[in-house]
Amino acid sequence: MSASNCSLVPSFTRPPSRVAICRAPDYGVDLSRLLYETLSEFDLPVEGKTVLLKPNFVEPDPQNVINTHPAVVGAAFEAFLRLGAKSVLVAEGPGNERDTEAIVETIRLRDHIGPLPGKFVDLNVDEVERVALKTRASKLKELYLPKTVLRADIVVSLPKLKTHHWAGVTLSLKNMFGIVPGNCYGWPKNDLHWAGLTRSILDINGTVRPDFAIVDGIVGMEGNGPIQGIAKPCGVLVLGEDPVAVDATCTRIMGLAPERIDYLAHAGLLLGHLKEENIRQLGESVASVKTPFAVLHEFRRLRAA
Amino acid sequence: MCLKPGVADSTADSSEGLDEVLFLEEFCFPFLLRAQNADGGWGYMPGSASGTEPTCWALLALHGASNDDASEGAARLGPQWLRQAQLPDGSWPAFVGQQQGCWVTALACLALKAQQEARDSVARGVRWLCDTWPAEGGFWPRLGRRLQRTPAVVRQDSSLRGWNWTPGTASWVEPTSYSLILMKNLSGELLPPSSGKRVRLAEAMLYDRMCPGGGWNAGNPLVYGVAGMPRVGPTVWALLALLDQRDRPENRKSLDWLSAAFPEIQGPGSLALAHLCLQAHGRTVLGNRTSSSVLETSLRTRQAVNQFLMNVPVVAWAAIALSGVPDWLIRIED
Repeated sequence: MSASNCSLVPSFTRPPSRVAICRAPDYGVDLSRLLYETLSEFDLPVEGKTVLLKPNFVEPDPQNVINTHPAVVGAAFEAFLRLGAKSVLVAEGPGNERDTEAIVETIRLRDHIGPLPGKFVDLNVDEVERVALKTRASKLKELYLPKTVLRADIVVSLPKLKTHHWAGVTLSLKNMFGIVPGNCYGWPKNDLHWAGLTRSILDINGTVRPDFAIVDGIVGMEGNGPIQGIAKPCGVLVLGEDPVAVDATCTRIMGLAPERIDYLAHAGLLLGHLKEENIRQLGESVASVKTPFAVLHEFRRLRAA
Repeated sequence: MCLKPGVADSTADSSEGLDEVLFLEEFCFPFLLRAQNADGGWGYMPGSASGTEPTCWALLALHGASNDDASEGAARLGPQWLRQAQLPDGSWPAFVGQQQGCWVTALACLALKAQQEARDSVARGVRWLCDTWPAEGGFWPRLGRRLQRTPAVVRQDSSLRGWNWTPGTASWVEPTSYSLILMKNLSGELLPPSSGKRVRLAEAMLYDRMCPGGGWNAGNPLVYGVAGMPRVGPTVWALLALLDQRDRPENRKSLDWLSAAFPEIQGPGSLALAHLCLQAHGRTVLGNRTSSSVLETSLRTRQAVNQFLMNVPVVAWAAIALSGVPDWLIRIED
């Protein structure tokens, strides 16, 4: 269970983290093969395990600019099964749109993973369990969290590469907001905002740290993200077992400085590696795929020097 | 199973309406009756732990079912479960075991209001709703906003307060609408004296949070000066809560948006709710086709594809919409 397997370890004691950057010019390439081959390099203990894929599904957006592209979700679904997972579930609890089926139908998720019953879980209406938070970065002390997430052997955060008008960027750590159930906290999950939005990200990930992250950066979103921004083709998938290192790498690809993003800077102390020298890059280099993202004027300070 | 007659569609002839009755009888009611737990409540999925919200929607949906043994049992045990789930302060938690009440309190009162023996429960629930204020108008949040040097990200009048999802947080469109629907439905003796002020303030809050082009989202009409996009669910609930003000231009504009959005709705829950709302406001759906038959066909198709993701509230909304405008909405206009 991911909640008990959380790695709250001072980052200076951690070995370097590996992050893979793969080029994928569009969603038509063989993403399943690409992900299978890349995931194989990480030697994940997937055999016989239940893998939970947590995409970022926000809105019924047929253009798939806002949501993790279903082709990436489908490719990850297939790749983890090929790696020997006993079962793979796709699970999401959208924060604004209560009609989860409207989202997954609009993006045609079933075309990529097959019939949804038994494979897709709406975390907003899942059974919940009270979980004491392992960190106290925000005002939250405990959260009711979905049993499906708490019982999964491996949790994979599958976000979209986007700017965010409150947090700066939304990547694999911020994506974990979606595990907080609407049936307890509403739409939006306003308790997290009142407890301190960026600090809540730390508490959620300090308690249920994703075991792996795959970021859909084939087409990202710049400007007024995470909903009303502009599509930004970037042509990459970014993968790794350290979500902080993955998010830091993505941020650098976007031309932003991860240490200037409040929650990432703090995550770099206990949850994973932020500094470039502690991240072993596999595949492409950051410089070769760097695509500066436009940010709102209020976030111009986040731009890398 | 015979059905309570719904509000007839003005364009329907005598043979039409059969399909939606069949779907109700063949799928919606049997699904809901089978999904009831032994403790009397309903979970969000069949077999999952009972929760307040799914129990409320199931009860409101089964209100349209006949008096056969199964539905009678449901009608007896369901309210019993709800009454037992009420907290000492009068509120309801989302799930049994939680110590704090929340937004589901309005739904619980709505589901129980027809029960004579639940009058005290309902009165205590409404009192809790009237005594509980969202946090945005409190001293510290107001001081914080006054001292803020940067322009506000979200433009809204925070003195206009409705209801929140959970205590200690801000007002949002959906929980505000649930409470308004409840209070506009209750007889005067169950309403505390402060309810009139709360209703007026909440109505003003809803209009303040309307998206510039009509319709509502969760409650952020403008962020960084950019108009928010309306969504079906919050638009439906706001329009139903404001049913007694249907001629206001804001409502007509929002109904226009909902009518235009209707053909593109992909989720069965949104589809059922949008249909219910348009019907309650006297709007026809999709030109001159019989709206109930359009709804039935769409729901049947979607049920075959995803089985409504086995979601109890969604099936309940489908049942409510197919049964016609319920009396707990009609009363708003009385």
